[in-house]
Amino acid sequence: MNAAPRYMEAPRRSWLDRVSDPSEKVLAWMLLTPAIVFMTAIVAYPVATLIWNSFHDVRLLAGQSGRFVGLENFALLMQDAQFWRAVRNTMIIVLVTVPGSLIAGLALAMLANMPFKSRGPIRLALLLPWAMPLAFVGLIFAWFFHSEYGIVNDLLVRMGFEPRIWFNSPTLTMMAICIATIWKTSSFMALILLAGLQTIPASLYEAAEVDGASKWTQFTQITLPLLVPSMLVALIFRTLTAIQSFDIPYSMPGPGEETQTLAMYIHMNAVDYLDLGYSSALAVCMFILSIATTWIYLRYVRGDK
Amino acid sequence: MNSIFTAKRLRWFAAAIVLANGFFPALWILLTSFKTEVELTAKPITYFPHAPTMANYMAAFKDQPLPQYLLNSLIVAFGSMVVTLFISSLAAYAIARLQLPRRNLILTCIIAVSMFPLVTLMVPLFEIMRSLNLLNSYWALIFPYTVLSLPICTLVLVSFFQEIPRDLENAAMIDGCTRLGALWRVVVPLAAPGVFTAGILSFVNAWDEFLLSLSFNSAASFRTLPVGIQMYQGEFAFPWPTISAALVIAMIPVVIVILIFQERVVSGLTTGGIKG
Repeated sequence: MNAAPRYMEAPRRSWLDRVSDPSEKVLAWMLLTPAIVFMTAIVAYPVATLIWNSFHDVRLLAGQSGRFVGLENFALLMQDAQFWRAVRNTMIIVLVTVPGSLIAGLALAMLANMPFKSRGPIRLALLLPWAMPLAFVGLIFAWFFHSEYGIVNDLLVRMGFEPRIWFNSPTLTMMAICIATIWKTSSFMALILLAGLQTIPASLYEAAEVDGASKWTQFTQITLPLLVPSMLVALIFRTLTAIQSFDIPYSMPGPGEETQTLAMYIHMNAVDYLDLGYSSALAVCMFILSIATTWIYLRYVRGDK
Repeated sequence: MNSIFTAKRLRWFAAAIVLANGFFPALWILLTSFKTEVELTAKPITYFPHAPTMANYMAAFKDQPLPQYLLNSLIVAFGSMVVTLFISSLAAYAIARLQLPRRNLILTCIIAVSMFPLVTLMVPLFEIMRSLNLLNSYWALIFPYTVLSLPICTLVLVSFFQEIPRDLENAAMIDGCTRLGALWRVVVPLAAPGVFTAGILSFVNAWDEFLLSLSFNSAASFRTLPVGIQMYQGEFAFPWPTISAALVIAMIPVVIVILIFQERVVSGLTTGGIKG
């Protein structure tokens, strides 16, 4: 009642002013808030739940929703032959397709780096495999390797070999999966390496030419060492995605579940069996695998410099 | 003279390998999609369709709700693109331009998100979506896909924001713009190419994703293309010509995107150098 009228007070920044024209530091944190909220909701909280679940019995089909069982899930997993088979299959994919796509990608990058008149078609040829969904690639290659009407068997017969029933044998299926994966991932690798190749100054090669170095020496002494930084970044991410292989092996199934990967086994336990405890324990294993991989790479990078 | 000739030949040879490697699978599917059932089962197999038919395309639309799958994929990819761009451009601006203690640590944290396998997030996210009743909805995919592209988009945008001269922004603020106004009127238009690049990358990432889509949206009305395409196979039958026709249609949007924006995509991929 007897307070001074509002307009008499010293000009004060209302909350509206403070929000619409905040100080720089406050603004910075305001702008970061959505990212932090999303990362908490979709990464941090799920990871915490994952770890919590892995120590509990969460079999929704059996009506179990969270009895603490300690390390029981992990003990089960150690004796689970299907788990070890999934780990083995995943490791095969990692060990074959990571070097495979690096070599194929390097070859593609060297070829694409030649002085062409128009770069458009070449660039498109490298982008198309990158943009094609992995699940499509799996289906397309399953069709390539079809035992009766596939083009791979057709070519084998034309070259005088025996046709194969690819998806009846785990080994042959794994081969087909690896070939499809290498095709899909090598062009991305090639794009990264091509960008790396284009930063190498031509003068280095000219100088080597003057010194009489062979093309091979130029490749091993100039090209490869200068490509290492771009290779490492691409390799870390290639390895991490190879550990998660799901789409291609899922669309190119072999006999039974012989060619199941770790990701497929996690998916089966979570979505088909609704056994969230066990699938979380499996996921923790994959998590450890990914972190260990990153750590090894980073150590290598640091040790190298 | 002779050596020039061989160098030219070598170039043609190199171009042929790269082009064949990139285009052959798509081309083969295109050829298969025009073959009749009879021709497909002929031995030895034919390379070019003898009696091209559109029947497979009719079947592709009849057997499965292909337009629905296309629409779902577009909604999810666009939705997550918009959300990702919103989040990552704000974060990138803060990291690139504002006084921020430990900005490198924050950027590293955002990039570290891409180290978390999506498969491992799948289990708890499945549980969360289930309890929120979000399974079989667009949001079930839009939110998680945001995190899929957040790291690369932030990285691309940070490098674009850093290139915009600070003076322009200061001039706008002297002229009476608030800081947010300067961001909206000056920085955003200048960073448009970067925003574009980041947008395309997040669009393609969301468009390609399979695992979460398969696990969260099992109802046909919310299925995205990569999952929908798998539905053409029956228990025993694999109608390859129909699948091929569906694949051709499904590839069209992404082919258009990379045809129009190829240079943007390449520049985005090589600044980020992340995510296959």
